[in-house]
Amino acid sequence: MSLRTRDGLGGKAAIVGIGATEFSKDSGRSELRLAVEAVRAALDDAGLSPADVDGMVTFTMDTNPEITVAQAAGIGELSFFSRVHYGGGAACATIQQAALAVATGVAEVVVCYRAFNERSGRRFGSGVQRREPSAEGAALGWSLPFGLLTPASWVAMAAQRYLHTYGLTADAFGPVAVTDRKYAATNPAAYFHGKPITLADHAASRWIVEPLRLLDCCQETDGGQAIVVTSVERARDLPHPPAVITAAAQGAGRAQEQMTGFYRGDLSGLPEMSVVAQQLWRTSGLAPSEVDVGILYDHFTPFVLMQLEEFGFCEPGEATGFVAEERLPLNTHGGQLGEAYLHGMNGVAEAVRQIRGTSVNQIPGAAHTLVTAGTGVPTSGLILGSDG
Amino acid sequence: MHLASTEKVGHVRAARHAEGTSVSSDSTVRGAASDAGRDMAYNAVRDIPYDDLKAFEGRAAAEAGIGKDLVNVPMIRHWCEAMGDTHPAYAGADPIAPPTMMQAWTMGGLSGHEGRSDAYDELFGLLDGAGYTSVVATDCEQEYVRALRPGDEISFDAVIESVSERKTTKLGTGHFVTTRMDIRAGGELAGTHRFRILKYAPARRKPKGKRPRPVINRDNAGFWEGVAAHRLLIQRCGGCGELRFPWLPGCNACGSPEWDTIEASGEGTVYSYVVMHHPPFPAFDPPYAVGLIELAEGVRIVSNVIGVPYDKVRVGLPVRLEFQRVDEELELPLFRALGGGPPFTSGGEPFGSGGEPSVGGGEPCAGGGALVEGGPGGALRVGEELPALEIPITRILIVAGAIASRDYQDVHHDAELAKAKGSPDIFMNILTTNGLIGRYITDRFGPTAVLRTVAIRLGAPNYPGDTMVLSGTVEAVDNGPDGVTAMVKVVGTNGIGKHVTGTVAVTLPPGGTA
Repeated sequence: MSLRTRDGLGGKAAIVGIGATEFSKDSGRSELRLAVEAVRAALDDAGLSPADVDGMVTFTMDTNPEITVAQAAGIGELSFFSRVHYGGGAACATIQQAALAVATGVAEVVVCYRAFNERSGRRFGSGVQRREPSAEGAALGWSLPFGLLTPASWVAMAAQRYLHTYGLTADAFGPVAVTDRKYAATNPAAYFHGKPITLADHAASRWIVEPLRLLDCCQETDGGQAIVVTSVERARDLPHPPAVITAAAQGAGRAQEQMTGFYRGDLSGLPEMSVVAQQLWRTSGLAPSEVDVGILYDHFTPFVLMQLEEFGFCEPGEATGFVAEERLPLNTHGGQLGEAYLHGMNGVAEAVRQIRGTSVNQIPGAAHTLVTAGTGVPTSGLILGSDG
Repeated sequence: MHLASTEKVGHVRAARHAEGTSVSSDSTVRGAASDAGRDMAYNAVRDIPYDDLKAFEGRAAAEAGIGKDLVNVPMIRHWCEAMGDTHPAYAGADPIAPPTMMQAWTMGGLSGHEGRSDAYDELFGLLDGAGYTSVVATDCEQEYVRALRPGDEISFDAVIESVSERKTTKLGTGHFVTTRMDIRAGGELAGTHRFRILKYAPARRKPKGKRPRPVINRDNAGFWEGVAAHRLLIQRCGGCGELRFPWLPGCNACGSPEWDTIEASGEGTVYSYVVMHHPPFPAFDPPYAVGLIELAEGVRIVSNVIGVPYDKVRVGLPVRLEFQRVDEELELPLFRALGGGPPFTSGGEPFGSGGEPSVGGGEPCAGGGALVEGGPGGALRVGEELPALEIPITRILIVAGAIASRDYQDVHHDAELAKAKGSPDIFMNILTTNGLIGRYITDRFGPTAVLRTVAIRLGAPNYPGDTMVLSGTVEAVDNGPDGVTAMVKVVGTNGIGKHVTGTVAVTLPPGGTA
């Protein structure tokens, strides 16, 4: 009923631990080992031990089963394990799953994780040339014979229509890239640490899929990220200030597709993110002006603009100016363009650091952070808040 | 612009043999044929000292050649039938030969050539011996000094004008050879013909992958059965009547599992599009455009926009459905850009094949420029865009054009031999392209129009089943004593890319009537 009414999950659970491997282009080790390292780091950060964990959540796209990660991380019996589908759209939803389990008493300590060798192993950017004749395969299959084969191309189709609708050029995407890289430049964990860019650099970068340029596209990364969730009560006894899960939501639109949502609506927005936004605002009772930091999923810059519009930070078609004027601190870790592409999970960690006050690009007094998950797919979002 | 910079020059032209008397020789035919059946691995080539090649410049390529037939009505008529050219000057009691037919009168035909020079044989022997065994015609520039009439006896001399340094093109590495021929009628200069060919060693052919297959299952098989029958089928809900695409076993509007189909009219517009640059895929040559087509019925489908270069696809471009075979197993519904919207902005309908010559022309261009009154199409302005002419590239057109131009190269009529030489099918010869451009221009400028020069460069080949869209833009207008002369830039685009680019000078005599 949460499409229509405030849900009862807000304020019940908190993020108490975050942990990651280094972000690289070639990790030199298995995806399982990356997952295990991230889980251990997150538990250490939380001041918890593997013995405390009774729930695990990951993405359906992750190659590391919960049981195997548990086995290798010293975690014992599990009362809750779950996976969320739809690629990067799962990111915030893993936290929602954990919060649901914690709030209902199904589990006490849940670890969410995502780990892959996405750069040195299977690169998403290299595209898709065949699919099995399942319902899911068939949906993508309408695009394949015509050479629309890459995530960049699926996003570009909507991005082109967005530009057309609002009379913009591809330069409209520049401010997002510049903002991400500005924060990455001062983040030692970021791949592009020390390497800011200008709008001119963006405009001069080569086409990948028009209207997307190289600097509109996120990195490809090897690495792992884990997040520990428990109840707010237990969180208060742990080392770090809790990042309270003020609101958590998933969203799919009518006639939703995965990346190929070409057949519905006007293609100039993200209806599924609107479903998320309405729930987050309703449950949190907050308004856009009360958000201190936005961590908006940025595999490709155009969808950052559309998210700002769907959340009501600005009017449709006006997001490029909103970003250029820096009216909301955005992707303060450097985003997936600047820090790393960890399917959105590194963004959740940054939102936690902002609440704790420990970000390398700390926004003073940040009390509410908005985090979103993969766009162009069924997605999810979180509002995290400080305790009390 | 040489081949290296032309778009989409397929390797398939590797075996193409130059059609002109000035370059045709039995040795080059054998040279090209020797590639047949071989994988086009890089031929072992030997460097030829450039001075040895340069020494041929200025030497005769053909001496005192004589046309095998007098200029005659039957050959003119066969040419006009092949080209679909209904210009009245080429018929009736006192016809002239179509100017673009000039080279045809010099062709050796089935029985071969006469009057070829030793120097020419030597040059080709040298290039063949060094491994540059393949030939492709790249350019043809003709100037017409006087009309050819039935009874004219044709004689010709040709000179090797230039031999280029070694160039590497998409086709391979080789030397461009340019010849210039003077064509006489009854001893009087009737025209000149400059012809450029590339003698080259084919580059290694990279295996071209097949397009990704459609993902077919029980829910959508009916769509692909429709494609096989050249029908684009849209599902229609049995409950609420809502049309839907993609295919699904139930209706998102009302949930009904009942449905039937309607056949799309095939009309649509580009709702959005992308241009793919990176990464490359085996079946596609980037950059290429992929469109999201909104059908007239209101549903959308992803497809390719054909008939325009990738950088001319725009939101709102009107398109029409066409089924195209992309490989042995796969036919796809593709969408061809139509005139009337961008990028063809001229008024008026494109001519139908064989229809009445249209003299209406386009709307005056708002951009200004020279304005000359009195042309048959009304005011003639710099910047005017000629109505597009859509020419279906049928097998019969390719063969009839080759035979009407006395060009018996196998790649223009024998699919099996063309395939053996690395081409996917037969393809149009350069003389036919030249003839079609002549037709396009005189259709537009009317029966009094006189062609002065036609200069063309070939790119993507015209294969059967494709469609070529000719478009033209008036680039300059000059009011001289002979009348108004327009320089028209002509582009012919097919499903692969630009087949031809060229410039035509056409004069409208003073007092000419429409």
